[in-house]
Amino acid sequence: MANNITPVRAGAVNVPFGHVIGHEKWKGSQIAQEMQGKIKLILEDGLGVVDFHLPNRSCVLYVSEADLVAGNGFKRRLVRFRNACNLQGIVLVEKTQISNQYFPEVQKFVVLELGMTLLPVASQKEAAQLIVQLVHEQTKSSNPFHSKKSTKFLESSVFHTVQQIPGVGKTKALLLLENFGNLHQLCNASVQELERIVGHSLAQQIHTFFTQTK
Amino acid sequence: GNPPGPSSSSNELPLRNLKNQASLCILVDNHEISSGPEVISTLKNVHGVKVQICSLGSCDYIVSNRLAVERRCQAELLNNAHRSKMVQRIQQLKSKFDRICIIVEKERTRTGEVWRVFHRTKYYDGILSAFIQAGIKVLFSACQVETADLLKELALVEQRKNAAIHVPTEVEGSRQDVFRFYLSIPCVSYTLALALCHHFGSLKEMANSTPSEMAGRTQVNLQKAEEVYRYIHYAFDTQMLPVVVT
Repeated sequence: MANNITPVRAGAVNVPFGHVIGHEKWKGSQIAQEMQGKIKLILEDGLGVVDFHLPNRSCVLYVSEADLVAGNGFKRRLVRFRNACNLQGIVLVEKTQISNQYFPEVQKFVVLELGMTLLPVASQKEAAQLIVQLVHEQTKSSNPFHSKKSTKFLESSVFHTVQQIPGVGKTKALLLLENFGNLHQLCNASVQELERIVGHSLAQQIHTFFTQTK
Repeated sequence: GNPPGPSSSSNELPLRNLKNQASLCILVDNHEISSGPEVISTLKNVHGVKVQICSLGSCDYIVSNRLAVERRCQAELLNNAHRSKMVQRIQQLKSKFDRICIIVEKERTRTGEVWRVFHRTKYYDGILSAFIQAGIKVLFSACQVETADLLKELALVEQRKNAAIHVPTEVEGSRQDVFRFYLSIPCVSYTLALALCHHFGSLKEMANSTPSEMAGRTQVNLQKAEEVYRYIHYAFDTQMLPVVVT
């Protein structure tokens, strides 16, 4: 393979949403046909080692059954991609009855050594469907697994935490929080201060709970 | 299980593994005793990993201070029957752990069944895409033995990145109440609760520490330490409590 070819397409960061830029070698392939109508596929040359550029800085590298059987050539391609850019690499691997035996080793290499993403597909048809879903997911605004760093109220959690103190139930927990305001104040309360809220023995118990060392 | 062949070469390999990975520790949720017995036995007997069975509740496996692993069977990802449960679980994990990995395990095939045709759904592709988009690592496993191997490999990678579990995994006596107190903090993972227990003399001492002190002692990142600090100082307002106290 000529070394003067750029490993990735210049300007690959800016693929419009809903579009896929594919390597021209996929022209007329089943993968390209299956994507037609579902997604805007543009075929170009100069994509280097990448098979498809997706929006949102991600790329698909396709490893066929034949690549797996042929040996380690595909690994060089993945390493070349990994070294060339910081785009997200998604490796689609044709996992079939024939290539199945190679899969565990390939997965270790791609995911654990290179830190890339790997998804098995059984055929080009499945690969096309998966790429369509990957692009749709990027266009969707709400990903259920993105933790929304919401400024949610922590009252019920704090209330629950205080009830972990031995001898403290709901009623006492509420009393303690109303009087001390937060966990920090509560942890620093003296026996005398605690006694004003709860009975003597519980005040002792709470104080011991906060101050006892190993 | 292990192949019975007692040839000398097959005996040496597990031994060598045992030596190299003496310090590898993986926490396993107790429900995995029934749902993944072969995962546990392979981790112990083949890979020589220290397996600590705990009541993790929120996840299946913890392989380092920051990485939680969920084991899911492939069928669960094929349709949206388990969606809300899954979303809830992952969001909970995200609040506690920096990194999450899902191992998608193939269902056990019945005897005689060699290659079951897998009917891939649009939902399956969608949920995998959502995982990837959210930065959740996905691994694929053909069986429990392979899952154990992947868990070990994940723990090894984390060990190389200095995130391995070194803190004692057991809490004794009256410290168990303190441990439960730490566990009830929403952003605190099982491993962080252990570290807080073992690296602070008392709860009061922890409550009075600064985020950088906490980060220094427990090796948790500063961002997480600040989150714990905010929780400890969070001003409780009875009006905001959704629970009616009787």
